[in-house]
Amino acid sequence: MVLVTVLSSFLAAAVEFVEAVTIVLAVGVTRQWRSALIGTLAAVGLLVLLVGAFGTAIALLVPIVVLRLVVGGFLLIYGLQWLTRAVLRAGGATARHDEAAIFEREVTALRDEPPVPPVGMDWISFTVAFKGVLLEGLEVAFIVVSFGASANLLGPAALGAGAAGFVVLVIAALVHRPLAQVPENGLKFAVGVMLTTFGTFWAGEGVGIEWPASDAAILALLAGYVAIALVGVAVVRARVPERRGHSAAAAESG
Amino acid sequence: MRHVRAFGAFWYDFLVGDRWELFLGPLAALLLVRVLVWVGVPGAVTSIVLFLLVAGTGAISVGWILRQVRRGSA
Repeated sequence: MVLVTVLSSFLAAAVEFVEAVTIVLAVGVTRQWRSALIGTLAAVGLLVLLVGAFGTAIALLVPIVVLRLVVGGFLLIYGLQWLTRAVLRAGGATARHDEAAIFEREVTALRDEPPVPPVGMDWISFTVAFKGVLLEGLEVAFIVVSFGASANLLGPAALGAGAAGFVVLVIAALVHRPLAQVPENGLKFAVGVMLTTFGTFWAGEGVGIEWPASDAAILALLAGYVAIALVGVAVVRARVPERRGHSAAAAESG
Repeated sequence: MRHVRAFGAFWYDFLVGDRWELFLGPLAALLLVRVLVWVGVPGAVTSIVLFLLVAGTGAISVGWILRQVRRGSA
């Protein structure tokens, strides 16, 4: 369970951090690196505080049955959202996430802002980077706290997310451009399946299900959701062949 | 008050957004399974029911979006 918790939070965090890095890169390249990095650090610090405070408080104060029902329910809802979006993207019904296009959009928007002040802090750089990292990071914080609290493994969940942040930052620093090569859509598919699986398992325990084969039921759920999601991709692909080009231009759905 | 409303709006957008069926579907599924557990239906059955209800919710949601895409409104 420890390994699965670390892996799940690593994958989820990697996806969100890739998106956050795109925003920070756009700010740094277009305006001022120093203010963008200070904004990034401030957001990361706030996220660490939130995970520490809420994660510990929830794990200590809420009974495990209630925790699994409520948090498992949230994970289930959230995971199902990720999974259905991933199925629609993989089937060509909605646009795939394109970091290069998002980067260009951010750069264009930032060029319309007032010029960077010659000295001192550029608050536009700070605010855009802070907001971008905080919003993307809140999803990671939600997953880490939910996963960590339900499995009583907050440390490993935070470790997985931290490792993902480190890896993404190192790669971004080396390549110095949007991480368009990261298989973001595939990662979102995997994370969606994992969150839905664990959400079902924990919420099911919360409503009183005695899972056959206990924890091994997780594997059966995982296999079941993967199979249904793959069938879903095939069905979507078969239904929208003539519209795929048009759909690719459709708005990104998250 | 403005901050409370913004906080509520954030969580609404985060968990419900424009896909209300993916919020209400799993909740309804859990409620139904809770009733089944309460009346004594065995775990082998309730576990399959929960899985099928969750998967069914996802399938319905994908079907709705797909219909919108085919109509050209998504």
